[in-house]
Amino acid sequence: MTMNAVYNGSNLDSIVGEDPGIPFALLDEESKREIRRALLHAVCVPGYQVPFGSREMPVARGWGSGGLQITLAIVGKTDIVKVIDQGDDEGVNAVNLRRLVVTSTGIEESSEVVESTIIQSRHRIPEDEMINSHTLVLQVPVPEPLRGVERDMRELARMHAEADYSRMWVSLYEDKVRNGVITQTTGYPCLVNGRYVVATTPIPRWDIPRLHDSQFLTLFGAGREKRVYAIPPYTLVEPLTFEDVPFEVEQANGARCRLCSSSESFLVESPGTNGDAGTWTCSDTAWCRARRLK
Amino acid sequence: MSKIVIPDSVLKVSGLGKIYGPITDGAIERTGSHVGTARDYQTGSIVAAWDVNFEVAAGEALGIVGESGSGKSTVLRCIAGDIDSSAGDVRLATFENGESNLLSLDAATRRKMRIDQVSVVYQDPAEGLALGVTAGGNIADPLTAAGWRNFEGIRARARDLLQRTEVPLDRMDDIVRSFSGGMRQRVQIARALANNPRLVLLDEPTTGLDASVAAGVLDLIRGLLEEFELAAIVVSHDFSVIEMLTERCIVMHHGRVVENALTDQLLEDPHHPYSQKLVSAARA
Amino acid sequence: MGYAAARGGLTAIRNAEDLVRTLRDMDESEQIELDQFIGRLRLLVDRIMGEAGMWEPRLAALAIRQAEGDHIESVHLLRAYKSTLPRIASTEPIHVDDMRLLRRVVPAFREPGGPQILGRSTDYSARMLDPRSGSGATASLEPEVATHVADNSSSVQTNTPRLMNVLRDMDLLTDRRRTDDPEPFDITRTPARPPAPRSARLSSMARAETGALLNQWYRNILGPDGYLHEVTLGEVRHGELPIRIKHPYTNGSVSIGSLRVTEVEAIEDLNGVDEDRDRFDIGYGLCLGHNERKAIAMANLDIACHRDGSKSSLEQSILLTTDGLDSAGFLEHLKLPHYVTFRSMMERKIAVRNARPSVQKGDKA
Ligand SMILES: Nc1ncnc2c1ncn2[C@@H]1O[C@H](COP(=O)(O)OP(=O)(O)OP(=O)(O)O)[C@@H](O)[C@H]1O
Ligand SMILES: [Mg+2]
Repeated sequence: MTMNAVYNGSNLDSIVGEDPGIPFALLDEESKREIRRALLHAVCVPGYQVPFGSREMPVARGWGSGGLQITLAIVGKTDIVKVIDQGDDEGVNAVNLRRLVVTSTGIEESSEVVESTIIQSRHRIPEDEMINSHTLVLQVPVPEPLRGVERDMRELARMHAEADYSRMWVSLYEDKVRNGVITQTTGYPCLVNGRYVVATTPIPRWDIPRLHDSQFLTLFGAGREKRVYAIPPYTLVEPLTFEDVPFEVEQANGARCRLCSSSESFLVESPGTNGDAGTWTCSDTAWCRARRLK
Repeated sequence: MSKIVIPDSVLKVSGLGKIYGPITDGAIERTGSHVGTARDYQTGSIVAAWDVNFEVAAGEALGIVGESGSGKSTVLRCIAGDIDSSAGDVRLATFENGESNLLSLDAATRRKMRIDQVSVVYQDPAEGLALGVTAGGNIADPLTAAGWRNFEGIRARARDLLQRTEVPLDRMDDIVRSFSGGMRQRVQIARALANNPRLVLLDEPTTGLDASVAAGVLDLIRGLLEEFELAAIVVSHDFSVIEMLTERCIVMHHGRVVENALTDQLLEDPHHPYSQKLVSAARA
Repeated sequence: MGYAAARGGLTAIRNAEDLVRTLRDMDESEQIELDQFIGRLRLLVDRIMGEAGMWEPRLAALAIRQAEGDHIESVHLLRAYKSTLPRIASTEPIHVDDMRLLRRVVPAFREPGGPQILGRSTDYSARMLDPRSGSGATASLEPEVATHVADNSSSVQTNTPRLMNVLRDMDLLTDRRRTDDPEPFDITRTPARPPAPRSARLSSMARAETGALLNQWYRNILGPDGYLHEVTLGEVRHGELPIRIKHPYTNGSVSIGSLRVTEVEAIEDLNGVDEDRDRFDIGYGLCLGHNERKAIAMANLDIACHRDGSKSSLEQSILLTTDGLDSAGFLEHLKLPHYVTFRSMMERKIAVRNARPSVQKGDKA
């Protein structure tokens, strides 16, 4: 049996007292180093899911604990962080995660992509252009793209190792045969660098083209499933689809944002009540606001 | 046993053996046709197949006959790589120039070999098919594994194969679980042919089908073997199947090959006493 | 830096946190002191420490108080705290025979070597609500009990003979002791994934959520895809183990305290074709604190997993589905906003409808 820590009485009192005295970026240095090693591994083998000793975070597993660990492992004192959930800086989960990063590091926060260096996100890629100086950290609930066709982890490991993805293709074939279209919604499976199939968090299909040949680094963190993976800048990212079945992003049939009247951003619907038609707004709130100010 | 010289063999099997259980000295001597058992009384091990040698030429179908438990499926599954063998050397001329022993391939290479070189048709279609997937999808599986990425191309190929195997095309998009036994077997054959394999291994392809359906499937297999110039091994305990599909066959008894002969010769004039028994039983 | 938006989200969160504090801390009754949890809710504290993988009664008590008794939340607080701590040292291997016994039950024999000690147990007490419980009026004055309480241990020596060794002497135990001595798998640093070494399975179960492990056991007994065979318990022990580390300067072995564990050895009847059918095998369970349910489930699952030889999905179930923080966190994440994903789903529903042949559309109209 290993004891993870040894306290003496006075140490304990300081813990039980008012100020818990947490280290910079919450995690102890050893842990951060370990996560960074896993990230380097992930960048070197694009799309490969690197196992890592995921730590328990102050947020629950499934609530962005993987993305949070990545952000905390790579953050430096001069970084500026933007955190969004569903495209919104003000979503409760975004607020909570940002608060944790900022209070545990003392770094600046921003809602502007152009000002930020680390952008942690759940379910979206910001509409704004991102460049080499940006690192996108995506929170991943289910990192295994093949789970829909196979449950056994030993077999899953084998399939990835041998790039044996035919069952994935069969599931797309069956989908198209049964439904006339590919019904995969968000988290569309993509082949990275011609080698590994990845789950694209669940970002909408709208965002998938942004991952291809991007200028920025994307890091994926799955805290509960204890894996990280990466899409380095300028990497080939191909959504799995047949040559003669074009990959389709979400259509909104001419809908426009009711605030900024955009039709070229990912829109989310607010259903109408009492038979009224629903309205649409940009999922990316910072982008929408900037457009209105222009 | 008369030696038959095969020109240009596609498949060459030498010294193939499979023992279930511990392998001990003398196990081979204590088992076999002459002893009358495949079970080593000292250890309880089963010498399911031993010292099996044969060759198959392109366009030729070789039969394996023998009573239940004689080791026919074992030989087939060893060649296919479904089970690990205990001894032997198997070369396929079209695979890595015949330079690799199929029995010692690592799992990944073996799976590659199964995509477009060697196909198996199992007695139980559930073993060779995904029952929850449509007939077309079952054929899409080996096609996509071989790199097919065009949806209509895959559909056309699946349609063509199902047509040849006489599966009604309007059932192509139904899941295989909703098919009858004979239909499942036809889908399995269609799937096995998807990537034009060099060698097809058929294990009791018609057992379990009623006589008229079996006759149809046999006709089909014979036609396909000719059309595609396939090398094939057909395992059956039923001489009529062997007679219909093969020119040459081997007889197995308690894990050993006791006779290797032209099929019509064997049926006319079996040499080994066990073969004689088998043939006369079949003729009766 | 620019943060133009109204901070409605933050205000809502702060208010929620305020409400938690108010409801919890402004109650009219007296604040419960940490010592009271440690002294009066002993089994709860033990369970929390076990699932947290951390022996520190005061912190566990604090976590329970802060989480208002929500046990998954308490474990979460402790584990998240642990993530902030550096790992200073590893203890030396502990020999379980050094256990000072507080309880020992050997169901497999009437008179095993060494004593049967009932110890602290409600196994044979009538489960009747007792209004006097916890009041002090129920305390015993029996001298034997008084000694047990005073020592916090029985008078029994360590090195009580083990049933396992008895069976081994009778040549009734299959021998799978190994001579190499690999480091145990550290599940906090490397995710345990099948196929995993036994130490990974054991550590996962030791930290598992007690209810999840109990359910894992029971569904394998009675569920549709059960893999378990019911064991005979050889040893059920609860006791205290000394903890030592190597002194960083002197290199000498230094005692730094002790902790309590529950330990179980479960005897399994081998009856498989390939198994050593004229012998028994042993499953092992050990967890922090006094938690017999957990240790027994663990021992039975340990041997079941070994016998299964990774033929079934049992190992994956044990390694991946029994952690309380994993399952609770994932379940509760369903409460997070999902409107981007849901929007995408609605869009595909329409796409499927539009792709349908018009005949079917006509049917609906
Ligand atoms: N997994 C196994 N373990 C032990 N023995 C086995 C195993 N599989 C097969 N055998 C034995 O190997 C021998 C050969 O079996 P095999 O399946 O090859 O026979 P077969 O000739 O195909 O028979 P059938 O006509 O009934 O299909 C039999 O004695 C069988 O009991
Ligand atoms: Mg057979």
